[in-house]
Amino acid sequence: MTLAEATPPAADPVSPTPVIEIRGVRKRFGSTQALDGVAIALVPGEVHALLGENGAGKSTLIRIMTGVEQPDEGQILVDGRETRIASALDAQRLGIAAIYQEPMTFPDLTVAENIFISHRDRGRLVDRAGMRRDAEAVLERLGVQLDVSQPARGLTLAEQQTVEIAKALSLDVRILIMDEPTASLSAHEAARLFRIVETLRRDGVAVLFISHRMEEVFDIANRITILRDGKWILTAPRAEVTTASAIRHMVGRRMDDFFRRTPAELGEVVLQARGLGREGIFSDISFSVRAGEVVGFAGLVGARRTDVGLALFGVEPATSGEILLDGAPVTIRSAQDALRLGIAYTTENRRELGLVLPQSIAANISLPSLRRYLNALGLLRVSAERATAVAFKERLRIRAASVDASAASLSGGNQQKVVLSKWLNVAPRVLVLDEPTRGIDVGAKAEVHQIIDTLVHQGMAIILISSDLPEVLAMSDRILVMREGRQTAVFDAAEATQEIVLGAAMGQPREAGQPPQPDPRPEPDA
Amino acid sequence: MARDLVRRLGSWEGLLLVLLLAIVAVNAVSVPGYLGVQNQINLLQLNVEKVIVVLAMTMVIIAGEIDLSIASVMGLAAVLVAWLTERGVSMELAIVIALLAGVLAGAFNGFWVAVVGLPSLAVTLAGLIGFRGVARLFIGDRSLGGFPDWFTGLGQHPLLGPIPFAILAFSVLLVVAAIVLQASGFGRLLYVVGSSPDVARYSGVRVRRVKWSIFIISSTVSAFAGILLAARLGAVRGSTAEGFELDIITMVLLGGVSIFGGSGRILGVFLSILLILNLRNGLGLLNVSGNAQTGVLGALLILSVLVPNVARGVRGRLQARGGRSLPPPGRLTEGAEPSPPVGG
Amino acid sequence: MTALLQRIRPERFRELALVVIILALIAFFGSQIPDFASGLTFTRISTSVAVIAVLAVGQTMVVLTRNIDLSVGSIVGLVAYFVGTFLTRDQGINPIVVIAMSIGIGAALGAVNGLLVAWGRVPAIIATLGTLAIYRVFLVEASGSRTVTTDKLPDWLLQLPRVSLFSVGDFDILPLAVVAVVVIIAFQLMLRYLPFGRRLFAIGSNPEAARVAGFPVQRDVFVAYLLNGGLAGLAGFMFLVRFGNITVTAGQGLELQVVAAVVVGGVNIFGGSGSMIGAFLGAVLIDLLQQSIIRLPGISEFVRDAFLGLLILLAVASDKVILGRLRALAARARRQQEEERLHSDATGGLGSGP
Repeated sequence: MTLAEATPPAADPVSPTPVIEIRGVRKRFGSTQALDGVAIALVPGEVHALLGENGAGKSTLIRIMTGVEQPDEGQILVDGRETRIASALDAQRLGIAAIYQEPMTFPDLTVAENIFISHRDRGRLVDRAGMRRDAEAVLERLGVQLDVSQPARGLTLAEQQTVEIAKALSLDVRILIMDEPTASLSAHEAARLFRIVETLRRDGVAVLFISHRMEEVFDIANRITILRDGKWILTAPRAEVTTASAIRHMVGRRMDDFFRRTPAELGEVVLQARGLGREGIFSDISFSVRAGEVVGFAGLVGARRTDVGLALFGVEPATSGEILLDGAPVTIRSAQDALRLGIAYTTENRRELGLVLPQSIAANISLPSLRRYLNALGLLRVSAERATAVAFKERLRIRAASVDASAASLSGGNQQKVVLSKWLNVAPRVLVLDEPTRGIDVGAKAEVHQIIDTLVHQGMAIILISSDLPEVLAMSDRILVMREGRQTAVFDAAEATQEIVLGAAMGQPREAGQPPQPDPRPEPDA
Repeated sequence: MARDLVRRLGSWEGLLLVLLLAIVAVNAVSVPGYLGVQNQINLLQLNVEKVIVVLAMTMVIIAGEIDLSIASVMGLAAVLVAWLTERGVSMELAIVIALLAGVLAGAFNGFWVAVVGLPSLAVTLAGLIGFRGVARLFIGDRSLGGFPDWFTGLGQHPLLGPIPFAILAFSVLLVVAAIVLQASGFGRLLYVVGSSPDVARYSGVRVRRVKWSIFIISSTVSAFAGILLAARLGAVRGSTAEGFELDIITMVLLGGVSIFGGSGRILGVFLSILLILNLRNGLGLLNVSGNAQTGVLGALLILSVLVPNVARGVRGRLQARGGRSLPPPGRLTEGAEPSPPVGG
Repeated sequence: MTALLQRIRPERFRELALVVIILALIAFFGSQIPDFASGLTFTRISTSVAVIAVLAVGQTMVVLTRNIDLSVGSIVGLVAYFVGTFLTRDQGINPIVVIAMSIGIGAALGAVNGLLVAWGRVPAIIATLGTLAIYRVFLVEASGSRTVTTDKLPDWLLQLPRVSLFSVGDFDILPLAVVAVVVIIAFQLMLRYLPFGRRLFAIGSNPEAARVAGFPVQRDVFVAYLLNGGLAGLAGFMFLVRFGNITVTAGQGLELQVVAAVVVGGVNIFGGSGSMIGAFLGAVLIDLLQQSIIRLPGISEFVRDAFLGLLILLAVASDKVILGRLRALAARARRQQEEERLHSDATGGLGSGP
């Protein structure tokens, strides 16, 4: 895409009063500065794209604009007047609506009822015929055909989003925030959504559009704002930004405080996936991992990397393709299968899926290998269990009063170490690490990296799923990039840079050398 | 949060103990010989079948499920032994068949919950009606007795010193339940499945198998208790053990077992058993009718859930008034504490 | 098949299936039981269904919000007994006052349940299992186990079940049945046309979204219990009218029949979907079975309960298994149609930007 292409009729950023303006907003969660002096202004009739890596502060900004969070500092001006958005209801009254990747519809109510369920000013009785008519009118304005008296349950994700947009419209929305609305949509559905966005824009709605798909951002945005590490980096008309420059601005994070891997000796291929897929989720993923190798999985939110991990671990088994272990095909239908084969997986959601929070560190560590700690009568050998936990506490330097402390009482970093211990204790040959350093402090992060390095030297094969680009680059030997359930590229660590990887993750064809990869076949012939 | 929980459980058991002592003290003062061994044994024996099932129900609720069909399974087993002996089947064989019926009933409940994935509330509500119906199919509106002497003797006469068989059985099962819950691998899995079924699944635990077995255990123990009940009463009707589920569930929840699963200890349940038995006895001494005692139990059932909820709400409000604008460090990824869903 | 799936919503299948099953049962019983298709049978079933149906309407509201009320049997007994006692003392009270009093007592008892569940956060099953016992105990204690007998009740009340408002052929339409029909229609309309009714569906359908949308979830759950209590009070009055003799065990076990009716009638036990019509059909089916199966030659009356248990289980299981399948089929059919349409007008590609 070049600058020469037709420029959209850009809304003049100066003359119309911004319908909403954010100034110098800061927000801190614990030790993380999520927003650090962010400013953005939306004018009526513009589509304003918000770009940034995972963790750049986009979500926090949305939560502040929709009244879910309150800023620590800074001003919000609506129609030029300083305003406090104290609740979701406040936001609704101000004409602010948000549409998320996962729609919030009521599956048992009809389309029309979903559109009008939040209306409290429509009298005491529901005029069903009138409601249907109005719902049809709103949908028609969006250029969508839907049977308004069918329940929302059967609708596709795209249709549910449309219903939410219609709901926003019916509430006289002036500011529509769209948070990755296209992440789960097909190309057709996305195209239809863009036509709707264009309609809204012409009607004078200010649209804040967040997407990881570069081409669509450049298709529909009038202006672009880029955030990085919670800071405002730039706001510019679309014509003044190129995809390359945008990516450069997004990735400008420093890498030097990262742990450097020490190269390990590569062994035989341990695990291999051929054309792996799960219906409707991801497809055609092929890769291999050797003993002593880290294969990084890069990609943005919604790239479906976690689902690949879950398929390898059998929690959500693959429906197509095959998995080979030491060159022989294996069937993995459950976590028990995976564990028997020596494959372990640490979840990205350690509080809900990784740890039994009320239970002790020792009990959490022994859980997947509980059988080893039972005597002939099925009773727990508590001393053996504790001894294992104590050993891991030393080895991974878990900071806790004792191994009898509950998992809930630990900090995020130490919880992560307990999760790691739990899985290291099953002595896996292949370890899938899903976002192992998310939400933990810098010191703990470095320790986790040290642990990974040690494991690789012991000959473990590691798959590292991480949204932290510098981390993937620093820790991996090879990097597989995914985008929307497809594999878009595989790089050697040596040739990968943040820009190249992010480009691949956003569907940007590689700039140097090879032509862009053809769209993978929809049906992998396994 | 978890430490709070531990402290609360600790104090819950402490509270139970204080209440228990108070009730026993009042009873002892007003009735001479109340504390005598024989009196305490009588007290326990009158409810021994219920409290045996309480032990199994404790496990079911810790595993995050509920079994409303227990009283009907008790009735079914009692009816079966009576009906079989009436047809000339030997007592021993009749007992075995009745126990097997318990196993089957549990496997049936467990199938729908663990394999099909239906809510245990609905499944065991159907069981409550259905198993009772099956029992009535056998017995109609008759009353059957005519057990051999050794059987009724087992239920009615002391076996070891002053202690009858059923109380011995209860004591053994109490120890077994304590060991299973606090010291066995299976017990550990019950807590894990009850508090975080997803973590269990993500840790390679066979959640289905655990759930299925817990329903089988619950029904089998209920069948056993039903047989004991037949022995003690000497005669069985279609309505035998009807309505026992209220007492049983109350004893479990009052013992500090969370209705949401994952927490609770046998010690608390044991204290709550003693508390309720002595309370009933004390109310009886005060000339409160058995019926009104049931009302007190109903109130206790609600209070045992309501009081911790209200306490938590008050504490939350006090903390909120403390005026923390920021979440404490290290809670970045943590959502607000999930409030229990409205209803179950 | 595909066309059929598109025309009829999976949720409607349940109601259709119930109607078919009920008709088939009537035909079956008619062929097996002499004099089955008589005015007497109709009168008997319609009076007994009437009480269950009113209770099922209330229970449906509660179940829609993902809750349950097991205390209704005790509320019915309590109201029937107290109103009956009241009438035996003073036969001259205006019937309107009597009915209002029934509903009032019921609503007050329902409000207790609602408070416990909505604001006390006591799980519905626990709260109402507790009040089931407490209400019954209160009745037994307060009554001193005395019985209300017909000979002391006013004439108008005793005549009520015998009055035929009008007749359709052999079938006499009785006041109780009319009350039930009015209640069903009124509350079905309320579910459809009042914002409150729609919110009940919404709360059970997606509690998270209901909270985000700022609905008064706790108040709505409370009101559902309150209304359910009021309807149980009305049912208590109907119970009194129907039987005249009221003992302290009156209404015992009704809650199980009601929950069964609601579940069999297709009201999802997980909340969010169901209709008053469905609950009514469930009540009819269950009552038809219970009243008729014992008249079959060679069948013990005791088979009823075993049957009822099985019926509940099958209803819940079919909700989960069959309805799930049907929905998936319907969704697939729709998607196919969608793709065909896109194929035929594959004009609007990506990039139809400004």
